[in-house]
Amino acid sequence: MAAERTIWERMFWSWRPESSREAGDAIVRNFLLHWFPAKVLRESLSFRYSLWLGTIAAVLFFLLTGTGVVLMFLYVPSVERAYASVKDIEHVISFGWFVRSLHRIAAHAMVAIVFLHMVRVFVTGAYKNGVAADQNRPLNWIIGILLLLATLLLSFTGYLLPWDQLAYWAITVGTSIATAAPWIGDDIRFLLLGGHEIAQNALLRFYVLHCFVLPAAVLILFSWHMWRVRKDGGLACADRLAREQKREWAAPIRSKTYSLLGIARGRTIHVETAVIDEEEHTVPASPVLVRRLFLVVLGTLVATSLLALVIRAPLEEPANPSVTPNPAKAPWYFLWLQELVALTTVRISSYTLNGAFVGGVLIPGLLILWLAIWPYLDKSSVASVGVWFPTERRRQNLVFLLIAAGILLLILTGTFMRGPYWEFYWPWEPWPEIPRRF
Amino acid sequence: MKNAKWHRRSASPSELPNPGVPDVETGSGSSASRRLFLQRVGLGALLAGLFGHVSAWVRSLFPNVLYEEPRRIKIGRPEDFAEGGTFLEERRLFVFRERNTFYAISATCTHLGCTVKMILLPQPKRVRIGEQTKEERYEFHCPCHGSKYYGDGTNYAGPAPRPLVWYKLEVAPEDGQLVVNLEETVGQDFRLTV
Amino acid sequence: MDQRRDVTWISSLGFVLFLLMGVAYWREWRPEWKAYQAEFRELVVRRFGPDRAAHVPKGVQQIWIPQLGRVDRCVTCHLGIEWKGLENAPHPYRTHPPEILQKHPITRFGCTICHGGQGYATDMRSAHATRIEHWEEPLLAAELGKTYLLSERKALLQINCNICHRYDRETKGAELINYAKRLVREKGCRACHKINGRGGVIGPDLTYVGDKSPEQYDYARLGGVKSVFAWHIAHFKNPKAMVAETVMPNFNFGSREAQALAMLVMSWKRVTLPVEYLPGAQWADRPTPEELEREQRMLTGEGAFFVKKGCFVCHEVSSLGIESAAKIGPDLANAYVDVQSRFGKTLEDFLMNPTGTMAVVLATQIPLTAEEKREAIETLKLAYRRKLERETGLR
Repeated sequence: MAAERTIWERMFWSWRPESSREAGDAIVRNFLLHWFPAKVLRESLSFRYSLWLGTIAAVLFFLLTGTGVVLMFLYVPSVERAYASVKDIEHVISFGWFVRSLHRIAAHAMVAIVFLHMVRVFVTGAYKNGVAADQNRPLNWIIGILLLLATLLLSFTGYLLPWDQLAYWAITVGTSIATAAPWIGDDIRFLLLGGHEIAQNALLRFYVLHCFVLPAAVLILFSWHMWRVRKDGGLACADRLAREQKREWAAPIRSKTYSLLGIARGRTIHVETAVIDEEEHTVPASPVLVRRLFLVVLGTLVATSLLALVIRAPLEEPANPSVTPNPAKAPWYFLWLQELVALTTVRISSYTLNGAFVGGVLIPGLLILWLAIWPYLDKSSVASVGVWFPTERRRQNLVFLLIAAGILLLILTGTFMRGPYWEFYWPWEPWPEIPRRF
Repeated sequence: MKNAKWHRRSASPSELPNPGVPDVETGSGSSASRRLFLQRVGLGALLAGLFGHVSAWVRSLFPNVLYEEPRRIKIGRPEDFAEGGTFLEERRLFVFRERNTFYAISATCTHLGCTVKMILLPQPKRVRIGEQTKEERYEFHCPCHGSKYYGDGTNYAGPAPRPLVWYKLEVAPEDGQLVVNLEETVGQDFRLTV
Repeated sequence: MDQRRDVTWISSLGFVLFLLMGVAYWREWRPEWKAYQAEFRELVVRRFGPDRAAHVPKGVQQIWIPQLGRVDRCVTCHLGIEWKGLENAPHPYRTHPPEILQKHPITRFGCTICHGGQGYATDMRSAHATRIEHWEEPLLAAELGKTYLLSERKALLQINCNICHRYDRETKGAELINYAKRLVREKGCRACHKINGRGGVIGPDLTYVGDKSPEQYDYARLGGVKSVFAWHIAHFKNPKAMVAETVMPNFNFGSREAQALAMLVMSWKRVTLPVEYLPGAQWADRPTPEELEREQRMLTGEGAFFVKKGCFVCHEVSSLGIESAAKIGPDLANAYVDVQSRFGKTLEDFLMNPTGTMAVVLATQIPLTAEEKREAIETLKLAYRRKLERETGLR
């Protein structure tokens, strides 16, 4: 065991810190560990506060990048070859089925997790500035919204690539929702498809968006998002702690930058004088944060691998522009919009307001706008930063959760309770038999 | 606590444990060592699992089926070939007919795989290849790096390391077409008599 | 204590990951087809000995036919298709009836173009596709016939014969399709329906009715399996039972007739085929009857020798009806006397020891044996005689 440790230390940790300062230096000097601050708050490591949803989303993104690169080697983005190449991935490429299934599960999971991450940030008031200097959490919240939109688009653009009936008609419905945008709707669709029909141009565009443009955007936004977390003094729960300590110690905030998961602007890399309560509330990022991060990575990998083994990725008939499957559904995260567009056509005497506009553009547009500006309208006090369901923010949390639940309900209805001709069926009711050729 | 000795051993175990190694002092002897053992096995399984993931991804890049031409190709009926050499562009192959004998020479340069060109000589040239002296009417020259081969494929100039490959010719029993077998190379004395 | 728990979690999840990967690897390394290949190898060892078993292919096998846009992996398990001596072996090892393969070599046609099924697949359920979702071409075999209670179960295969043979009047082996085509002629379907561009407009155009999607039929009055094929059978037996307001007369077709006709209409699909796959299609430039006759005369007449040996490329032999496209050399009708004046030797001498261009030609292009040379001399003499005869005849 001694020999093992020696080898380990020789390879990875050739030197042992003698002081906190040395330990901090060591972390700052190491490229990989430099991602993290020298010390982190115990509270921000807890599963109870953050549920680690943002980290899981990032892990899923990197898992998707890995499996995606493998799939890029195997998939051919042409109308003639796309479907056959996916069939090959399913049937004759070793582990092709597994990699594809993993990619699909991780993609669906990422949409869900990013959404849940947003819910968590909202209900804990984590988009609010706390007590530390130079915070701009509302900006980070907006970056987060952009990341959610990018995630949805990534998943949506990936949907078309297998070029089967499911893909083709989900994209037909999805891009038709875009045409409901006033004035520019038709142009958006024309640009997105590179024509009026979903054909080779559309496939290539979706492919490039899916494999390069959107992942690059996510990577940049993600880096910015993380950088802002550091600049904002770590997770919002740090502000709660700082506030509590302020009551106890009345120490100047500026001197606590080190305890707030980061190094404040304009400082040298040298560690500042630690205050006593740091011993109690913080732990060194290496190995504690590294280990917990690894645990989260592993947990995500295990969960997606398990689901990938249980749920095989579907592949329907080859895309057939002349036959619409009954029912034709958008991908699940757009099904609430599909429900809305089916429900919200408004007729006032002879004037008809198309549901595609109300449900497809107006409502989601207003929702996003409301989300983006809410941090600036939320006038609750610093006391409700980084706290789950604070009484002060009870009403807005309730409204937010009701909207989220409504969206979820619409998605569940669309997914499980809509049958042929968009008729309503309870999950236990059988659909009429779908006719076949033979 | 300024300048306090920051040392893993001196910190309290709950805060600063060693990575991957639990503190043996906290548990009673045998249960601690059992836990240690199980953890080690678990970490081993973890490494194996991660390795399994990565190798599955890498394995998927080695195709199991290929969309390629078969290696045994029918090239036409013997009587459809003219006397002398015929270049089959798509197959990168020269087929030679001398009355009723046939042989096939690959047009792939043995240096770096360019397609050699058959050069008809203005007048027959006598060359010495090994022991024999032959009279030849054509040669093969490679456009990429200037390798030169005699009419029987023997390299004599340029960077080419080996003579051009000769492939086996057969007659298909079902329809009498010539079949070239790209899997099987033959010597320069090979002749198929039809 | 949190930290120790993390390590415990990591190692437990490590176990789980290991197990999951174990499942993935197990699935990957134990596919159905490996069992079939092993069993086939045993069968070959039993029947033909271990030497031939070494030739049994390993791994996924496929036939790729780019012209038809198909890749068929059926041969991964159906290993005995081209083996002789496995005619009575169980499926999937049985020898394919060889007669049909002579005209439809497997390397040019593959399997699914005739048999249906999903060529991409490598497991039986997906490959045969008789009862799976998302694949519209099931294996047209007995299993499918059984679900329709057909009396001629295996005949379903003939649907696919008619994809290429749709313009044939009779196709050998496709008896039920032939029968249906005869019914179409006898019952005068074209009075109301347009088929292949010919016919009336009272009923719908049936040229591509096989492509019509299942959603487009009304199954309200159809019992049992809701499928296009079942609908057609029921409709042929009694049109009004399926479409109440139809004007199509009831022909009182029996089961056999209804099956045959349903198969025929199912085969009327829009399939783009390369011309070399269309039976009876003309894709060579055919000579006219006059050209054919002239060619025949030259090949079988008295001057046939000059055609066979290629002399006619340069020389015409006017007295024997041999024409030359190039006419580079002199007319050989005169050769018997002409050689003497040109080369100063007799024809016999000249052919045995030629000089000039003819020396090169006879050495490289047209090698003649001594006997052939004698034949040449005799024929040239004959040509000269014929010339004299004609001239005297004219005089």
